[in-house]
Amino acid sequence: MKNLTDEELMILVSNGNLDMMSILFDRYHIRIFNFLLKMTRDRDVSQDITQEVFYKAIKYRTSYKKGKFSSWIYTIARNIFSDHYQSQKNKEQPLDEIEYKIEREETNGIEKSEIKEQLNRALGQLNQSDRELVIMNRYQGIKYQEIAEITGSTAGAVKTKVHRAIHKLKDHYLQNT
Amino acid sequence: MNCNQIEEQLIDYLDNNLDQKEYHIIAAHLTTCDNCQESLHKLQLVFDGIDNDSEELPDASIQLNFEEMLQKEKEVLSDSKIVSLRKNPKNSWKTALQIAATVALIVSAYFYGKRENNESFSQEMAILEKEKVQLKQEVTISLIENKSASKRLKAVNYAEEFEKPGNEILKALINKMFYDDHINVRLAAAEALNKFSDLEMVRKALIDALEMEQDPGMQIELIQILVSIQEKRAVPSMEKLLLNEETPSYVKDQVTIGLPSLI
Repeated sequence: MKNLTDEELMILVSNGNLDMMSILFDRYHIRIFNFLLKMTRDRDVSQDITQEVFYKAIKYRTSYKKGKFSSWIYTIARNIFSDHYQSQKNKEQPLDEIEYKIEREETNGIEKSEIKEQLNRALGQLNQSDRELVIMNRYQGIKYQEIAEITGSTAGAVKTKVHRAIHKLKDHYLQNT
Repeated sequence: MNCNQIEEQLIDYLDNNLDQKEYHIIAAHLTTCDNCQESLHKLQLVFDGIDNDSEELPDASIQLNFEEMLQKEKEVLSDSKIVSLRKNPKNSWKTALQIAATVALIVSAYFYGKRENNESFSQEMAILEKEKVQLKQEVTISLIENKSASKRLKAVNYAEEFEKPGNEILKALINKMFYDDHINVRLAAAEALNKFSDLEMVRKALIDALEMEQDPGMQIELIQILVSIQEKRAVPSMEKLLLNEETPSYVKDQVTIGLPSLI
């Protein structure tokens, strides 16, 4: 079973073999967690959302339609994240709190280099869309084509946007130093 | 290429996404342009930073929570299995059967109805047809006894229309041919009987009629009919007519014309 592709496993899941989801969980939960962590900079929220991603994946297993599994699971993650972001926004979470969380991470830091923190700060200065693109493409190594599938765009458009976002990130990063 | 265009290509340059030609153009430019060199260096710095960014691990609880959730979902699934998995195929089966049964019912009802209809229709038609013939016979017989000669004539013409007239009709016609007071009715009856001359009863009546008939017009008509049906038994009566002095010459002529074809 471990030799099966993500897609084959997910088809089994959608046919009612729920145990196969634990293999997919093993393959993806750290990646999804880190994507969310970079987006939210909040471990607890990221863990909660990651849980929910796999819960939704099981619950809506029959809506999986043979596409690339990773695109599908990222689409779910994005949806839950944006729901969360929306409700966060409604709560009008004060900016200080986000700042605080970064600082707490710094103080709690386990071998955190200066560069990493500066990059995180620079990432935080990007708008959500640019941040997401940089995280997906540069941190998670997702190809332009797949990002296009996840975000509902074209590979060419994604590439242009990613490049622009990287240049912005670079500028923020250098300004911070 | 100017520096802006070069800078746009720098990411692809670092990612090795350029073809050789483009790569060499950029590389050549970088050796001469400090600004672009600087840009490249900064990008490299960012990329290195990202690449050195190690993934964080979620708390171990996430695994446990997942297992727990999976277990719950499996229970929900196996619970619903008894209901939904058996119910669904059964239901679709049932629906398909229901549809099939409905279609079959409609189709069979249509054909059954059509057949029944046809059968009962043709039966009805047959009954009606029979009734009509009976009615016509009754009318004919009653008319044939009417006082008015024209009514009797009409009845004789009706009688002629029957494909297979009943004995009653034939008897009535023969009776008319023998005894009707009116020559025209007798003539019409004789003509009508000519149509049914393949019946022995009719042939005999025609022969007898010639024997009895006094009216020359009627005699001529009967001679013509008997000759045309090749009734040899009528020869004696015809010869008798020839010998009878009272027989008009034109009737005799008709007999002499007809007799050779009979003998």
